Amino acid sequence: MIVKAETAPYVEAFAQRDGTDEPHWLAARRAAALANFGDKGFPTRRQEAWRFTDLRPLQRAAFPPVSGDGSAPFALDAYRCPGATHRLVLVDGKVAPALSDLGALPEGAFLASTAETLAEAPDLVAAALEESDAQGNQPFASLNAAFFTDGFVLALEPETVLERPIEILHLTSAGAPRSHHVRNLVRLGTGSRAVLLETYAGAGAHWTNSVTALHLREGAALHHARLQDESAEALHFAVNRAHVGRQARYRSFVLTLGGRLSRQDMLVRLDGEGAELALDGAYLLRGEQEATNATFVDHAAPGCTTRELFKGVVADRAHGVFLGSISVRPEAQKTDAHQLNKNLLLSRRATVDTKPELEILADDVKCSHGATVGDLDEAALFYLRTRGIAEGEARRMLIEAFAADALERVEPAALRAYLAHHLQAWLGRGEEGGR
Amino acid sequence: MLEIRNLHARIADGREILNGVELVVGAGEVHAIMGPNGSGKSTLAGVLSGRPGYEVTEGSVLYQGQDLLALSPDARARAGVFLAFQYPVEIPGVNNMYFLRAALNSLRRARGANELDAGQFLKAVRAKLKLLEIGDDLLQRAVNAGFSGGEKKRNEIFQMAMLEPKLAILDETDSGLDIDALKLVAGGINKLRAPDRAMVLITHYQRLLDYVVPDRVHVLSGGRIVKSGDKTLAAELERHGYAAYEAA
Ligand SMILES: Nc1ncnc2c1ncn2[C@@H]1O[C@H](COP(=O)(O)OP(=O)(O)OP(=O)(O)O)[C@@H](O)[C@H]1O
Ligand SMILES: [Mg+2]
Repeated sequence: MIVKAETAPYVEAFAQRDGTDEPHWLAARRAAALANFGDKGFPTRRQEAWRFTDLRPLQRAAFPPVSGDGSAPFALDAYRCPGATHRLVLVDGKVAPALSDLGALPEGAFLASTAETLAEAPDLVAAALEESDAQGNQPFASLNAAFFTDGFVLALEPETVLERPIEILHLTSAGAPRSHHVRNLVRLGTGSRAVLLETYAGAGAHWTNSVTALHLREGAALHHARLQDESAEALHFAVNRAHVGRQARYRSFVLTLGGRLSRQDMLVRLDGEGAELALDGAYLLRGEQEATNATFVDHAAPGCTTRELFKGVVADRAHGVFLGSISVRPEAQKTDAHQLNKNLLLSRRATVDTKPELEILADDVKCSHGATVGDLDEAALFYLRTRGIAEGEARRMLIEAFAADALERVEPAALRAYLAHHLQAWLGRGEEGGR
Repeated sequence: MLEIRNLHARIADGREILNGVELVVGAGEVHAIMGPNGSGKSTLAGVLSGRPGYEVTEGSVLYQGQDLLALSPDARARAGVFLAFQYPVEIPGVNNMYFLRAALNSLRRARGANELDAGQFLKAVRAKLKLLEIGDDLLQRAVNAGFSGGEKKRNEIFQMAMLEPKLAILDETDSGLDIDALKLVAGGINKLRAPDRAMVLITHYQRLLDYVVPDRVHVLSGGRIVKSGDKTLAAELERHGYAAYEAA
């Protein structure tokens, strides 16, 4: 095997890792995934899906895959979801029992760290791995398969309803650059329902590389909100692969505030008739931040709906990227899919690349897509100022109004309030000054 | 209160729109400015409130003895200047109540008064709403978003009533109002008349001046005040139009 230079540290680390007490099937899958990673190497700008992403921050340093022991102290307050939850906290890629509080889970609900699950219910961990890890074109997901040691697993038996939100906090402590590979699984049985809030936050110039598999069976419903508020030096890549069954409903929202370089890949396959998807998000970027939201929605069954809205606020020299692809297979008649990406540029040096795409192979469908890039409305700004509101506050009001619009579909209200709170906190931190 | 001397202003393309405006408004007075379309009335209001896009090339504006043109738009508002827009701006996503409370509190802070909490604010709002017969639902909506023409104008006067300015410039607040709304708005304006407050009403119609009787009436034409008089001037204009002043 020819080892590509940038993959070398990871390939070597894999050779040295101690996987002796792991089951054979897992060792085999890890090896296959690593081979795929070594083979593909880092994505390059020649690949359409990576054309706008500048991977240099990842190439400049090595990020050895080292997890903590889950014991680093952490003040959770800033990231606690108000109200009662089932809480699982990971610190530096490893579950921290002292900070977690799963509470009483109803019958039929399974929530545990991936490491524990591997011991108790290895089939669930196997379900979190996919064929594509060993052969697909997501090299970082393959890398994750090779190295993951922890994460979370949520599995609901049919008709199980979780009243309280599940709250997962992925926290990182400061320290030398390293990578955390977390592998998560959400499996909702027929007719089951859950609310899931994930937060990624912390300090340091580490690399979070997370992969989550989501399986929603017939009639299941998941409200899934994510906040990425990592440090301004951190790298954050997340791949979410969702399979949404017949009459199931998946609502996803991702709020990107942190990270020097971040990327969310959301792959959703609507593979049962009448499945409903809301795929929304907002990204607020400043300084030198670059963030990509890449969504790939595959309408594989008839009568499914997609509502997709991503809003971007880009300040200073930051760079926002939106890639949105919706494909409608020939058998997916009566598809109803709408996608929109709107951006607000707050500085002359801020940039946005947006690429909404539709590929429609069925003939009886209702589909639309669009993208806008604009500046703050000067007339509105002036109007607010004539009422005595200072320029900075007036700008914040308008930016918040623009971004908060994307939050409208987030439910329940506690999750919306949580995200709105962090959005406001971002606004309170201010721009660099100088347009 | 307001002293405008030889004011010249031009727009980005270099065209001079104000061409030597002279206007002195004393405390407690109400002045009406009339004039043909495009004569520079809104431009004057814009320059007084600090709207971007105008360059003052000559002249001065003193407000309560200070150089008004040196202040930012929001500082002018905090100093007590209010502009009711000819075309109020729609601001989707910004709640009307939230906006107005932010505005009122920034004015109160500037005056050294305490900020109003949500409850106190609501109380203050209720009293003024009655005055203008504005429904609660309008307040729950985004600022001017989807408001009818008349609702927008009433919302401007409602804001004025809440913010209690010292100098109010009302740019065609009467245009587009039905007769009942006009009476309400006029009533709102009259309520605010006070010895320490001055008002400039820009209007095309005598009918507003039937309800709000001005101390002085001016004709602005070609970017200058070409004639001033008492309230009878408005009636005369209504009869004869601006033909006599076009040449100016
Ligand atoms: N920002 C601007 N850009 C370009 N032209 C402008 C601008 N502001 C004013 N003008 C021009 O200046 C002239 C005066 O406009 P202004 O709006 O002040 O007139 P007005 O007296 O208020 O008219 P109306 O009675 O129709 O409201 C018009 O010819 C207008 O087109
Ligand atoms: Mg005008």
